[in-house]
Amino acid sequence: MSTYILRRLIAMPLLLLGVITVAFLLTYFTAADPLTSIIGERQMNNPAVVEAARERWGLDRSLPERYVIYLGNLLQGDMGTSFRTRQPVSQDLMVRLPATLELVIAAMILGTTFGVVLGVLAARFRDGPIDNIARFFALVGASAPVFWSGLLVLFIFSVQLGWLPGPGRIDSRAIAPPFLTGFYTIDTLAAGDWAGFRSVLMQLILPASVLGWTVTGIVSRMVRASMLDVLGQEYILAARAKGAGPLRVLIHHALRNAMLPTLTILGFSFAYLITGAILTETIFSWPGIGSYAVAAARGLDNPAIVGVTIVGGAAFLITNLLTDIAYALVDPRVKLSRQEGA
Amino acid sequence: MTSRLRNFLLAGTGAATLAATAMPGAAIAQDQPLVIARNLEINSLDPHRAFCDTCQIYLSSTYQGLVKLAADDRSVEPLLATEWTTNEDQTQFTFTLDPDAVFSDGSPVEAKDVKWTFERLKNIQADPSFMMNGLASIETPDDKTVVVNMENPNSEFIGILAAPYVGIINSDVAMENGATAGEDASSADQAETWFLANSAGSGPYVLDTYRPDDELRFRVNENYWGDAPPITDIVIDQVADAVSQAQMLQSGGADIAMQVDPDTASTINSPDITIETVPSYNFIYVMFSPGAQGGEMLDLEVRQALAYAIDYQGAIDFTVGGEGELQAAPIPNGFPGTEGLPMPEENLEKARELLASKGLEDGFTLDITVAQLNVYGVDLTLLMQKLQQDLARINVTINIQPVASAVWREQIANPGIPFSARFYAPDYFGSAQYVQFFGMLADTYWERNASGQGKVDLVNDRETELFQQALAASGDKMNELYHEIAMEMIKDRIIVPVVSPNLILAYRNEIEGVRYSACCNLPLAELSRK
Repeated sequence: MSTYILRRLIAMPLLLLGVITVAFLLTYFTAADPLTSIIGERQMNNPAVVEAARERWGLDRSLPERYVIYLGNLLQGDMGTSFRTRQPVSQDLMVRLPATLELVIAAMILGTTFGVVLGVLAARFRDGPIDNIARFFALVGASAPVFWSGLLVLFIFSVQLGWLPGPGRIDSRAIAPPFLTGFYTIDTLAAGDWAGFRSVLMQLILPASVLGWTVTGIVSRMVRASMLDVLGQEYILAARAKGAGPLRVLIHHALRNAMLPTLTILGFSFAYLITGAILTETIFSWPGIGSYAVAAARGLDNPAIVGVTIVGGAAFLITNLLTDIAYALVDPRVKLSRQEGA
Repeated sequence: MTSRLRNFLLAGTGAATLAATAMPGAAIAQDQPLVIARNLEINSLDPHRAFCDTCQIYLSSTYQGLVKLAADDRSVEPLLATEWTTNEDQTQFTFTLDPDAVFSDGSPVEAKDVKWTFERLKNIQADPSFMMNGLASIETPDDKTVVVNMENPNSEFIGILAAPYVGIINSDVAMENGATAGEDASSADQAETWFLANSAGSGPYVLDTYRPDDELRFRVNENYWGDAPPITDIVIDQVADAVSQAQMLQSGGADIAMQVDPDTASTINSPDITIETVPSYNFIYVMFSPGAQGGEMLDLEVRQALAYAIDYQGAIDFTVGGEGELQAAPIPNGFPGTEGLPMPEENLEKARELLASKGLEDGFTLDITVAQLNVYGVDLTLLMQKLQQDLARINVTINIQPVASAVWREQIANPGIPFSARFYAPDYFGSAQYVQFFGMLADTYWERNASGQGKVDLVNDRETELFQQALAASGDKMNELYHEIAMEMIKDRIIVPVVSPNLILAYRNEIEGVRYSACCNLPLAELSRK
């Protein structure tokens, strides 16, 4: 197992290098000159301004030169300066990644909890009203576009009912906590700012619910299918014959085994949500990595595009590895085969 | 009801109550920050590199120019300069600085700061640097006197000085943090990052915090030398779309929503919200590029025919629900020289006649691209679709391909786009900026692009001559000359304005002082709570 993990960890930088190279080349071959995102229309006709901008942003250098310089800087943690925010990309990402992670973790917790509960209930009461409600809920969650569901929940819970706040990570009138981890929930607590903590939690509810709804849909259907499969197995019958109660059979014997395929989905969902939270972040004015990526792509902000790609690539590689490890931990057969394979 | 269910419901009610108490209250205390919902889209906070609508709000609140645009949006008033004189031929401008003016660190505003600021703006070679075009030298005979010499007459210079980008910077503080005004400033200046976290002006506010795509927060300048602004803290909160801005306004999360479009505004029916519609100086235009690939047939008569085929009022109704104004020339209504200009006219008969005179009665096809943008409430693709229908009436077929704005900007220069739509907002109050950008003077942005970088001769010598005269004139004479230039620009039929969208000011009833300014968008220091 440890050899396997070590091998994966050694392969990771090489895979990341591939990701960086492809991202770098793609930004170079886009249909437009990145200068258009740096200089306004009026000054595009001014050779002195154009030349100054090319020199300042290193656009006067050849592709190989830029690539080598970029890799050299990257080794020192320098991902370049964003054309759009004019700040170091690493600094932008350091602020935005925790924002997205906080949202995604909250969404995963909500989505997984509701998904598992709904899935178990749907399997237990197969084809009954609960199963139908769960199916409907899952269908809507998996298919409703976020730009619709996001605006809808904002309208209902923020504008009409006034129960929950509108867009943003923290009440606009409140001051953001001093940067410690970038997770506002942790940073407000660390600062002893209880009002801020409450505000942050309230701000999280709507976007996390909308984002987590997708996960709920997928997880509940996956858990239901796996549960139905498992509940028909002989060892479940054996457990019942041994006198195990219905709840123990359901949770201890059935759910634990039914969770295996769900774990794979959860791993991918997490990585997917990190890079896929774009619409939720836009609707809820959540300054995370998704909205950063979209703005970067729209504005031909090449350093930011490459930076986001590196983070996205790393997120997929790490969650993939963690999923495999979790898989092995839950299923002893996988653990054995990995060891043999190693 | 089981005890478990009852407990669950009670917990839910408790959570809802907690939520309600955490909500921004209906009545906001006077000392609470005022929140403005807006799509920030800031490119920089360095006064000499920034160039955006939000930048205008920021810079006009934290920095001050020698003069400012008055509330009538026409005249200039003293600000850091108490008085100024201009020589006969508009080449020398002498300013006397207010002896009381101080920067936010308490140090006095001096002539050296003005000289340093203007020289940095010129030498840094960034977007707003054009405002110092023609600057020859600056003399500072004493701490409170500045003499600016221009290479050529520039009657617009005083108007330019009211632009937010020309606010005076505390040169000592800026230089300590990597700024330089020398001739090598374009490469040697390292202060942009510092300016993203600090301001160094004399305006009523200072920069508190800026988090890109999140918020821009101001706090009152404790050393402000003028009347203290009524609101001490202001936050411009990043809210990208009009619907979210309106929702935030209705829920009390924001006090002002700045980019609510007419459709969204019509859905707001709260008695707590005021919605005002005011004319703006922004406009959307279409342009014809006879030098572009595929635009070879677009000679003057054909351009006139196409312009006559446009249903201007229909376009305004279609794009902004009637909330817009017609505009005669590529100089906004109300700017010098625009009074009495003939408004664009739809005349299908004339359009057909003109096409027939060129043997094009059966029409032709144009393959064009348009930037995927919604700007000032106008979706450019939708506008082009409307024009597509209009031009189909004279057998002209338009094939539209929407592209990213950056791609559009690349294409407009090479290989050119024969017909497309774009937008413009003023950088300051004055008409010269429009002539320099839209006029058919040699090497202007649109002369180069419309002519296919010189493939077709579009230079209008009369326009060039009139512009030189306008720069050397003042008062009524200057207005007359800009009027003549505007007439020439209309005759060029390269740039055809379609709509000047009205601006919707949406704010909560307790807010006062909300107004649109031609130079600065929203003057923050004028805002107050009832």
